[in-house]
Amino acid sequence: MNTTSTTRLSRTLQYAFVAALFVFIAAPMLVIVVFSFDANRFPAIPWGGFSLEWHRATLADDMVIDAFKNSVTVGLGTAVLSTLLGFAAAYIDYRWRFRGKSSFVLLVAIPPAVPVTILGMAMLAFLSRAGLFGRTETIMACHVAIATSFSMAIIRLRLGELGTDLEQAAWNLGASPVRALLQVVVPFCKPALIASFFLSAAVSFDEFMIAWFVGGVHETLPVRILNLLQGQVNPKINAIGTVVLVISITLVLVAQRFVGVKAGKHS
Amino acid sequence: MTVVIADPAHVDVVNAAPSASSQRRGRTAGSPVTLPVALGVPVVVWQAVFFAAPLVFLIVITFWQVRSFRLEPAFVFDNWQRVLGSGTFHQALLHTLTVAATTTVLALVLAFPAAYTIALRLPQRLRDLAVALLVVPVFSSYMLRIYAWQIVLSPEGMTNSALSLLGIGPLPLLGGAFSLQVGLLTLTLPIAVLILTFALSGVDKTLIEAAENMGYRRSRVIAHVLAPAVRPALVLAATTTFLLAFGDYVSPTFMTGSKPPTLANLIVDTVKSGSQWPRASVIGVSMLAVLALVFGLGRWLASRGRK
Repeated sequence: MNTTSTTRLSRTLQYAFVAALFVFIAAPMLVIVVFSFDANRFPAIPWGGFSLEWHRATLADDMVIDAFKNSVTVGLGTAVLSTLLGFAAAYIDYRWRFRGKSSFVLLVAIPPAVPVTILGMAMLAFLSRAGLFGRTETIMACHVAIATSFSMAIIRLRLGELGTDLEQAAWNLGASPVRALLQVVVPFCKPALIASFFLSAAVSFDEFMIAWFVGGVHETLPVRILNLLQGQVNPKINAIGTVVLVISITLVLVAQRFVGVKAGKHS
Repeated sequence: MTVVIADPAHVDVVNAAPSASSQRRGRTAGSPVTLPVALGVPVVVWQAVFFAAPLVFLIVITFWQVRSFRLEPAFVFDNWQRVLGSGTFHQALLHTLTVAATTTVLALVLAFPAAYTIALRLPQRLRDLAVALLVVPVFSSYMLRIYAWQIVLSPEGMTNSALSLLGIGPLPLLGGAFSLQVGLLTLTLPIAVLILTFALSGVDKTLIEAAENMGYRRSRVIAHVLAPAVRPALVLAATTTFLLAFGDYVSPTFMTGSKPPTLANLIVDTVKSGSQWPRASVIGVSMLAVLALVFGLGRWLASRGRK
C-alpha cells in the first residue's frame, strides 16, 4: 500500500471514530424522543407503532404540570439573578484589584466543582435550620449559587475584549462611573448577558440533586422524573423527557447563538 | 473551606488617571469605593449564604451527635471513628475510587483521538459544529440519557429485543461494570473531548509541521510534540472526569442499582433513611478531601511539565 492510500484509510478511520463518538452522545437522546411516540408500554424492538398516548397522559398528569411550572419559575429566577450577580462578579474582576480578589473569584467560580450530592446535602442541612426547607425560592437560591459561576465566566470573557479606553473616554466626557457602566459596559456585554441568561436557565432546568434535597414537596421537572424512575417502568417518562430535552437543548443552543464557542483561531 | 471577604478598605482603582475624574464627577457613585462595594457585597453574601456556609456547616455537624433521633450540637469524634472504621465505607471508597479511575482512563483514551481529529483534521466549519454539539450535552439532560441507556441495555430492552429477533440472548448488559462505565462516559466524554479539542486547536501548527518535516512518524509527533504541549489540558480533562465520576449518583443508581454502592449512594441512603446526618456528613467531607488531593496531584502534574 502506498503512503497516500494509507493516509486516506487512516483519515477515514479517524472520521469514523469521531462519528461513532457523536452517535454515542446523541443516541440516548434519540431513543427518548423516538420511544415517546411508541405504542408499546415498554420500549422494545420492533416498534409498537406511532402513538400520542403517553404525551396525552403526561399533559393530564397534574404532578407533572406542577413540576413543570416550578421548573419554569426556578429557571427564570435563576437566569435573572445569576446573570446580575455574574455580571457584578465579572466586572469587579475586570476593573479592580484588591486584597482577597482571588478568594472572591474562587468563591464564585468553584461551586460547580463540588459534587451536587454533597452540596445538596450541605444545603439541606444548613438551610433547613434557617427555616428555608421545601420552598421553590430556596431551590432557586441554590441554583443561583452554582449558575453564577458560568455567568461570570461568559461575561468575563466578553469584558476581556473591551479595551480600557472606551470606559475611560466616557469618564473623560463627564459620565459618572455608574453611567459609564450602564451606557458603555452593559451594552457592550449584551450578547454575553443574553447567553448567560439562557445558559443559567439551562443549568437550573437540568439540575435535580439539589432540587431534590432542598425542594421537599415542591418538585421540579427533573426531580419528578427522578421519582418516576425510582418507581415502576412508566412510559410517560419518555414523553416528559422529550419536552425536557427540547427545552434544555434549545436553551443551550440559544446561549451559543449569542456567545459562540470556537476552538482555535478564526480567519 | 474558608471565605475571605474582600476588604473594601483595600479596594483601589486600577485605572489611576480616570479615578481622579470619577472622584470629581462621581456624584451618583459617591466615593470610589461605593461602586465596587455595591456590586460586590450581594455576590459575596449570596455565595456565602448559599454555598460556603452550607459546606462549613457540613464540617461542623460531623462532630455533632444524634440523641433520640434529634441532631444536637456537640464536639465528638464518634462519627468519624464509626464511619472511617466501617467496612461498608472502606468497600464503597475503594469501589468509587476504582470506578472513577477507570472512567478517567477510558475517557482520556477515547477523547484524545477524537479531539485530535476534530481539532487538527476537520475543516473549520465542521470543527465549530462539533464543538457546538459537544457543549449541548454538558448542560442538558444527563439523567434522561442514563434512563435511555437503561432502555437500550435492560434485559427486555432495545438491544436484547433486537438480538432475540436473531435468536441471540438475552445478554446481561445492564447492572455491571460495563453499564456503569457507559453511564459515566455519557457524563464525562463530551467535557473531556471539549477540553482536549480546545487545547489541541491552540497548538502552534508550525511545531507539528517542523516535527513532520524532520521525518517524525505521527505516533512520535503525538508523543513528543502534541502531548507535552497540551499537558495541562490533559491534566484538566483527567481531574474533571475523575471529579464527575467520583461524585456521580445517577449512573451507579440506575445502571447498577447501587450494587455495590458508591460513596454518593451511601450519602443519599444515609440522609434519606433518617437522622444519621453526622455520618452522611463525614462521608461527604471525606469525599471532598479525596477530591482536594486529586486536584493537588493534578496541579503538581501540570506544573512539573513547565520547567
